[in-house]
Amino acid sequence: MSEPVRIQEADFSQDEEIAALKVSSKSIGGIATFLGCARDFSEGRDVSEISFEAYGSMALAEMQKLRSEAIDRFGLLDARIVHRVTTVRAGDNIVFIAAAAEHRAAAFDGCRWMIDELKQRVPIWKKEITPQGESWVTPHP
Amino acid sequence: MIKVLFFGPVADRVQTREMQVEFAPGMTLHDVIAHIGMQYPGAFSIVSFIAVNQQQVHDKQTVLHDNDEIAFMAKFSGG
Repeated sequence: MSEPVRIQEADFSQDEEIAALKVSSKSIGGIATFLGCARDFSEGRDVSEISFEAYGSMALAEMQKLRSEAIDRFGLLDARIVHRVTTVRAGDNIVFIAAAAEHRAAAFDGCRWMIDELKQRVPIWKKEITPQGESWVTPHP
Repeated sequence: MIKVLFFGPVADRVQTREMQVEFAPGMTLHDVIAHIGMQYPGAFSIVSFIAVNQQQVHDKQTVLHDNDEIAFMAKFSGG
């Protein structure tokens, strides 16, 4: 069974992540997921690739903390966070977040909170590679 | 020695991902920033987060210890 929080180059399988959640508890009544993927445009420019960089050890520790906080805060039964750090092309997967709870409200709220917090707290940066050149992305709310 | 790490856009400005700074007793985070800032003026204008031993710190008077690891980071843009 893979770790519930991971940073990896390789793509992930949503089915495998969800299956891992489902075996963790028979009390799960709902699983909310967020899949972040690469767009082929940004601020009016074509984007051919997005390259990610992370402060790996700190990013992983922060993601683990984030998962634990989400479980406590929303009463989740389980949660998973997987972020790729590599170079991706349009349509490729970037990040997967899943929140499992007895009822849907906690699952939705926990999932939304985790992706919002990840963007604020986890030391990962993305660089967009366009036909005009490369540029680091300025964070969006 | 103090290990200093740079990531993303900050690494681009400093043109390296890692450097070593000689440790001196009583040294603070501010001392390291001043030392690097002299060599790379403007490098810190985009630094939004600083971590010492992977813990975010806000106080530049934080006293450092030999073998500490400092990271200078721009705003995060993961996800």
